[in-house]
Amino acid sequence: MMPHAQKAAIFNKDEARTDWHDASLWMVRKKRDFAVSEIPEWEFIREFASDIKMHTLSKLDDYLEAFEKAAIQNGAIVHWAADAKEHNDIVLSILNKHQAKKMVKSKSMLTEECHLNEFLELHEIEVIDSDLGERIIQMLNEPPSHIVLPAIHLKKEEIGELFHRELHTEKGATDPQYLTEAARHHLREKFHTAQVALTGVNFGIAETGEVVVCTNEGNADMGVHLTPVQIHSMGIEKLIPRRSDLAVFTRLLARSATGQPVTVFTSHHRNPKPAGEMHIILVDNGRTEQLGKPDFRSSLKCIRCGACMNTCPIYRRSGGHSYETTIPGPIGSILTPGIDLKKHGQLPFASTLCGSCTDVCPVKIDIHTQLYKWRQIVSEAGLPEAGNKTMMSIMGNGLASPSFFHRLGNIGRKLLRLFPGKERFLSFTVWTKDRDLPKAPVESFREWYAKQAKDAQ
Amino acid sequence: MPSKETILTKIKSNRPNLWPLPDVPIFETLATDKKKLFIQILERGGSKVHCIDDSTQIHQVITTHFPEDKRMVSALPFLEGIERISTLHPDFYEGTEVAIIEGLIGVAENGALWVTENELGYVRVLPFIAQHLVMVISEKNIVGTMHEAYKKLGLPTTAGFGVFIAGPSKTADIEQSLVIGAQGARSLLVILTP
Repeated sequence: MMPHAQKAAIFNKDEARTDWHDASLWMVRKKRDFAVSEIPEWEFIREFASDIKMHTLSKLDDYLEAFEKAAIQNGAIVHWAADAKEHNDIVLSILNKHQAKKMVKSKSMLTEECHLNEFLELHEIEVIDSDLGERIIQMLNEPPSHIVLPAIHLKKEEIGELFHRELHTEKGATDPQYLTEAARHHLREKFHTAQVALTGVNFGIAETGEVVVCTNEGNADMGVHLTPVQIHSMGIEKLIPRRSDLAVFTRLLARSATGQPVTVFTSHHRNPKPAGEMHIILVDNGRTEQLGKPDFRSSLKCIRCGACMNTCPIYRRSGGHSYETTIPGPIGSILTPGIDLKKHGQLPFASTLCGSCTDVCPVKIDIHTQLYKWRQIVSEAGLPEAGNKTMMSIMGNGLASPSFFHRLGNIGRKLLRLFPGKERFLSFTVWTKDRDLPKAPVESFREWYAKQAKDAQ
Repeated sequence: MPSKETILTKIKSNRPNLWPLPDVPIFETLATDKKKLFIQILERGGSKVHCIDDSTQIHQVITTHFPEDKRMVSALPFLEGIERISTLHPDFYEGTEVAIIEGLIGVAENGALWVTENELGYVRVLPFIAQHLVMVISEKNIVGTMHEAYKKLGLPTTAGFGVFIAGPSKTADIEQSLVIGAQGARSLLVILTP
């Protein structure tokens, strides 16, 4: 796997495109700021959201059982999946039971995590992602580059080209209105002919057994209400205790995600439609493992709004695909090292630790602190991604010893004076690749101070 | 061991110490005129709002906004001359130009209207499948915030499906350009009755 820094370097080669990507996401961040400013009690509800989630995690087993009981009473069928494979097998068994060959799916990061599409396609099931952005990247055979804006990395010209090929839109057409209309007609047909619909879940309510799905396009509801069988795939951390807790989370989610006051549709599914079937799959896939790590368990509070991505200077200028994880950006970089430290251990270093992610997080996950803590673990594990180890140990020793530091400073200043204009001579370290070194001062502070002391005598 | 037991056992050994569940206060809006805010937020989100003095005017409002020769389906019991909900088969409603339904609660802070399957005659797909959506709501049922809305809703008793609808369906998946009319209704007209 190519490290994030290398992938980011490739992304950065097209400077105009990098700037465009950066600006698109910053615009979303600014919309978020405006939406947040409309709620005077924002900081209080963030705190409540954090506490509700922490409370749920501290009694997750009880709440899962309560949720299952209520859901069964409602007439839903509840399944438990320990890992991705079991989840996928359950979905396939439901499809097989109904001899279904076609399934519409609305946005679900969990099914991305489980690689459900690839699995079902191997079993000759046609899966149609029904969210516009997801459909676009599905046609391109790419993973989403953002959890809320899956096709944010694509230009309308590229989408126009794709739709011309796949949906026979006019050649060269790039108008988003026109392209969306073409997708609307294409997807309508799919909604009517699919036999099963699968959705992700934003919130599961323990006291009522309901699953709540938040969308803007209406695609999740079109699928669920038009097909006889509905499946809701839900990570076990999506639970909240009370229905009234939704007030807190619906106020936070869309404002943080896109700057809307609420998603267009907030659907509460409690029981199957007449003569229909409703399945809920509760998925672990590493979540209980994360729950056992005191430093990192609060990452399970995440409600998948994407605000940390939109604000992250690294994400904005490296793109979601550079992370090579299901969930990119700051939150992904604290969720994924726990799954495979060797593979994802470099991600906690894809950050400036500026803390902006923590500031915008609606459920107050201390993301940048956890990034820092993962770095310690990665370094202790001796992984090569842990920065420049030699340099770090020279710096470590140098900063710990006053005399060594003094000598190091002298050498450094001399070198800088000997090679004026060649500030980037330290090409062996990435730090100077895009940064100019400062002009060397004539003397160090220590030398200046010693002189002052002499003059005063 | 079945996965349910595996998962629950792992949670028991890995969960943190009990964290208290907070009592969340019912935050109210600071806006003095909830109706005005409701209309303002709806319009900002791309919806139209039409206020009337008497519910007998609903029919007339609908015909001024939509041509009468298109298929209209009403879930309201009292609209003369408009097709009513008949079958529960969802595909039957494809081709509906305008669906007319009732909203039970309106939320001023975000322009969301609550409706359950009871008001939809159990045709859950109706608000989504129609090309255009009309929602009728009494201004008496406007609350300030989502906290007030969920307080009013309480726990579900009969309805198996309920949804907050806050405007026409929309997307910005192509270069962040807002397009109204994604997979669901292309427009939302809210008729406010006294």
